[in-house]
Amino acid sequence: MQERNNYTEVEDFLSDESFRTWVRSEEDYEHWEEWALENPRRAKLVEQARLWLLAMNVPETTLSSADIQSALESTLVKITKKEATINKINSPVQKLWRNYWLSGAAAVLLFGLLLNWFYKDDFVSENSIVTYKELIHDNGEGLVEQTNNSDKSQIITLSDGSSVLLKPNSKLSYPKIFVGNERKVYLSGEGFFEISKNPKKPFFVFANEIVTRVVGTSFRIKAYSDQPNVEVLVRTGKVTVRSNELISNFGKKEEEVVLLPNQALRFVRQEFTFNKITDITQDESLAHSVGNIEQLSFEFTDIPVAQIFKTIEQAYLVKIDFPHSKLKDCHLTTSLSDQPLPEKLKIICKSLGNNTSYEMNGNQVIITSNGCE
Amino acid sequence: MKIQTTTHVDILDDSILWNNLKAGDEKAFSLLFEKHYAHLVRYGNSLSSFAEKVQDCVQDVFTDVWVYRESLNDEVVVKAYLLSSVRKRIARLNERDHIFRKTTSTDSIEFLFDFSVEHQLIADEETLGKVSRLNKLLNDLPGRQKEALYLRYNQGLSVEQIADMLNVNYQSANNLLHRALLNLRKEWKGNISILVLLSSSVF
Repeated sequence: MQERNNYTEVEDFLSDESFRTWVRSEEDYEHWEEWALENPRRAKLVEQARLWLLAMNVPETTLSSADIQSALESTLVKITKKEATINKINSPVQKLWRNYWLSGAAAVLLFGLLLNWFYKDDFVSENSIVTYKELIHDNGEGLVEQTNNSDKSQIITLSDGSSVLLKPNSKLSYPKIFVGNERKVYLSGEGFFEISKNPKKPFFVFANEIVTRVVGTSFRIKAYSDQPNVEVLVRTGKVTVRSNELISNFGKKEEEVVLLPNQALRFVRQEFTFNKITDITQDESLAHSVGNIEQLSFEFTDIPVAQIFKTIEQAYLVKIDFPHSKLKDCHLTTSLSDQPLPEKLKIICKSLGNNTSYEMNGNQVIITSNGCE
Repeated sequence: MKIQTTTHVDILDDSILWNNLKAGDEKAFSLLFEKHYAHLVRYGNSLSSFAEKVQDCVQDVFTDVWVYRESLNDEVVVKAYLLSSVRKRIARLNERDHIFRKTTSTDSIEFLFDFSVEHQLIADEETLGKVSRLNKLLNDLPGRQKEALYLRYNQGLSVEQIADMLNVNYQSANNLLHRALLNLRKEWKGNISILVLLSSSVF
C-alpha cells in the first residue's frame, strides 16, 4: 500500500483494485478516505478518480439465480451431447457422467425420448378429450381429493413439502403420501405449483390432455374442463409438457415442449396443437391470469420479519400469527423465490433461531418464537 | 435459495476451481459456471444484439471448457480466458451471419455497451451533474476505447490481457486506454472551464 503515495494520475487510482472496491462498495479496508484527506492535492485527485468510476458503472445483471441454474442445465445437456459424439469417434467409451448431473435436465430429455418410443406404435385411441374423471379413475391408487368451493384461492401442502395454491372452482387429487419413484397429482381447474426439489422423484401434473413434468420449480396450470385451452405458465426452473398418453397417438405425433421461466404453453384442445408463448407480457389472456404470488417479490434484504410474513400472507392467502413484540426488531436477508410455502416458513424459522418453529393448520400458520438471536 | 450472508462462491479462488475442474471435478465446474455466467452474458450482450445467441455462445464456451478440460492450460487467468473465449465465439458468429461481408477476425465486432451512472452512491445534485456529464463523454467514445476501459476498470484485466483479447500488441492496448482517458480529460476540462465562466458571469 506504500505504492499509492506515488500516484500522480487518475489512471493510477483507477487501476488500483482496492480503490475501486472502496468507491463502488464503500468498503474502506485500506483507509482511503483518511489517506486522501491527508493532503489537499491528493484529495482532489482521489475525488476526480471517484467521479470517473461513478460515471463508468455497469448495471447489475438481470439474470436471476433460477436463470443461471437453467443455463447450467442446458450446458450440461450440451456437454452430454458433445461427449457422446466424441466418444463415438474415440472408443473406448469414457464414462464421464455420474449421477450428480444426470439428475437434472439430461434426465428430462431421456425420459421424453423413451416416451416417444413407447407410444409411437400404440393403437389409435378413440378418445380425444381427456377429463379429470378418467384420469382419476385410471390411477387406481387411493387419492385424496380437495375441492375449492370458496371464492378465494386455497393452499394445499403435499407430503413432500410442495405447495399448491388452488383457485376457486378447482380440484386437486393427490396421494396422501407419495410412494414409488414418481410424484403424480391430478388437476381440474387452475393452480399455482411450487414443487420441492427431488431429482430422484420427478413430479407430474396431469391436467386434461397434457402432462407436465418437473423436478423442482414453480409454475401455473390452467385446465378447466369446460374451456377450450389448457395453459401452463412457468415462473422458475424448467418444465417439460407433453400430451397425455391417452390421446398421444390420435393421428398426431407426440409432442414435448420445454418451458423456461416466463414462458408459457397453450394447448388448443380442439386442434391438438401446442402453442409456445415466449413472451407472456404480449399475451393478453396470460398476462391477465398472473396471480398475486407471481407478482410479489420474495427477495428480502434486511427486511423486518413482520413484513416478510405479510408478503407471505398476501401471496398464499394464509393467516400468520406470530409474537409481534418479540420479533419486532428482527430483520432478515434471504431469497425465498424458489421455495414452496413450508420450505419458506422453515427457512425463516431457522434463520430466526433455534427457538422458533411453525405449525400449519389449513390456511392458519402459527409461529412460536422467543425472539431472534 | 438459501439464507444469504456472503456467498461462498465468491470466496473460492478461480485458479483452485480451475485446477479442480481440470482434474474432473464436476462441482468445481458448476461453481465456476455460477460465478461467471452472468457477467459473461453481459459482456457478450455488449458485443451482439442477439441476446439468445449470446447465451448460447457462453454456454458453448463452458461446454468446451469441460469437454477439453484435459488440454487446458493451468497457468491462465480464468476470467480473462473466459472473456476472451466469449469474444472469439461471438466474432465467429458475426462472421457467419455476415458471410458476404469481408470480415477480419475479432475486429469485426463492435462494443455496443453504454456505461450508466451509479446513482446509489451519489448523494448531492452537484456530484450527480458532474458524473452525468462525464458519463455522457464516456459513452461518446469510440467503441474500442470504451471496451478497453470496460475490460480494464470494470473487469479488472491487465493491459497485457486486454492486448491479447483485442489482438493488438501491448503498446497499442496501452495507447487505446490512454487515448480514451486523454480525450475525456480534455473534454472534461473544457466543460468545466465553460461552466466556471458561466457561473462567474452570473455574479
